[in-house]
Amino acid sequence: MSAPAISVRGLTRRFGTEVAVDDLTFDVEPGEVVALLGPNGAGKTTTVRMLNGVLRPDAGSCHVLGLDPAADGDAVRRRTGVLTENAGLDDRLTALENLVLYARIRGLDGDVAATRGAELLERFGMGPRASSLVQGFSTGQRRRVALARALLHEPEVLFLDEPTSGLDPEATRAVVELIASLAREHGRTVILCTHFLGEAGQLSDRMAVLQRGRLVAFGRPAELGEELWPGLAVDVELAGPADEAVLAWLRAVEGVVDVESQPSGAQVRVTGRDRVPAVVAALVAREVAVYAAVPRPPTLEDVYFGLTTEEGFGR
Amino acid sequence: MSPRVEAMRAVVAKDLIAVRRSKAVILPMLIVPALLLVVMPMGIGLAARAAHGPDVSSVLAKLPGNVADPITRLPQREQLIVLVNGYLLAPLFLIVPLMVASVLAADAFAGEKERRTLETVLHLPIRDRDLFLAKVLGAFLPALAVSWIGFVLFALVSNTIAWPVLHRIFVPTGLWLVVIFWVAPAVAALGMGVMVRVSARARTAQEANQLGGAVILPLIFLAVGQSTGLLLVTAPVAIGIGLAIWVVALWLTVRGAERFTRDAIAARM
Repeated sequence: MSAPAISVRGLTRRFGTEVAVDDLTFDVEPGEVVALLGPNGAGKTTTVRMLNGVLRPDAGSCHVLGLDPAADGDAVRRRTGVLTENAGLDDRLTALENLVLYARIRGLDGDVAATRGAELLERFGMGPRASSLVQGFSTGQRRRVALARALLHEPEVLFLDEPTSGLDPEATRAVVELIASLAREHGRTVILCTHFLGEAGQLSDRMAVLQRGRLVAFGRPAELGEELWPGLAVDVELAGPADEAVLAWLRAVEGVVDVESQPSGAQVRVTGRDRVPAVVAALVAREVAVYAAVPRPPTLEDVYFGLTTEEGFGR
Repeated sequence: MSPRVEAMRAVVAKDLIAVRRSKAVILPMLIVPALLLVVMPMGIGLAARAAHGPDVSSVLAKLPGNVADPITRLPQREQLIVLVNGYLLAPLFLIVPLMVASVLAADAFAGEKERRTLETVLHLPIRDRDLFLAKVLGAFLPALAVSWIGFVLFALVSNTIAWPVLHRIFVPTGLWLVVIFWVAPAVAALGMGVMVRVSARARTAQEANQLGGAVILPLIFLAVGQSTGLLLVTAPVAIGIGLAIWVVALWLTVRGAERFTRDAIAARM
């Protein structure tokens, strides 16, 4: 098994008395896309800053591509690309200059940077604006230029903070496809900080849910859902909301863990898919009309809110 | 060229291109030197070319003998030009390197914060110290360039406008040469040494300028002292003043480079 691309052990950072990141531990495999999810102030940006050697941890350690960012920050940053939460483009430079001048600081030859930069801008639909000053660009246009800049030096690890924020649906789709291909076809490791659960679900292999600096959960969405809500939820469609008698009959079926009345019938939690026929049979035996029984695995949204809200099972 | 030097050069180049396109930064950098080094000597020269040059004997009377005597011996029409353009303007000229260095240094970090580009810079593979020095050089080199170009213009204007009166080249004087090549670079280094450090702590370039504005006070004292005769700045004195400024400026810069860390900057973002 290959060494992890990113390894984090007990990573902690305080600002004064406030603990921004608290004892994080996780590994990210090479070529994996991991979504860092969490509300504002959860510690996502601070984590990325420590992983890229911009901030030093107060306790614990992290390694990126086998290097310690606190000791070898330059070496780490040479091999990583970052898209920050705000695009961070200099308004006084053109789109292409923003790419080329920053690439030169990274040690890339100016001509090579200009060629690659022009190709990337073209790819992101910014080719016609390459020579325009960034001042006056829309949020989406800035995002696309910044993403091109993050990719210009072909980094092995990418830290992307809200990569599709402000993009129109077409551009969002292009960026999502690009990130997926970077990981799957080019073996890049991607840390994706996002509020968009759909995007995280589409792109990430695993997700790390942060809350108030702590890692609440880390794993595949389906596994996390299984941990939160063992078994399988089944939406049973009836003529109307299930009454107490129907709920009692359902509870009596072997393998039923939980039952809840719904406007269109009931939601039944069973130990496994094999118990669905028994649930339907029990209702049919009592002459209850069953229009549908649809297993509903937890969505990423269910898992996320389950983990982060006060009512969540994970708390 | 080593990758470290290349990275520093690239940071300086990026900043200079950006500054060149910023009217808010470039205009004060051009207007003040133009007024001080072109318009003012031109006005003095034109005044001296009038049939009866202004009487500056009361001013000369306040100056120490070794400065006043050679001027007093000149014809009256020559006295104003030599006094102002050759002597009084020299310390005032130091405002140019100080102002340019301060404006650019204030923009170095606080300006990046204001434009929300600082985080991107911090994520680049350039060492903390190299980033600090690149920002320092990005303020120092243009300050020196503007000062020296400004002085060449000043010398051209002063000598040309005074030619019908003096019939000789009178600038640069010994004092001017010391000011240009020794004190002006020191003053630029001082301005940038103070302002880069202030800039790293301030949230906006304007805040940095306000916090670091006090750096100009010693220069005003110098200029007032010179014009009132309270302080005699001759070439040897200027060498001593320059040395003292260099020591302070280098100390500030070295201390700044030692204490500058990404972590401290990022923690304040």
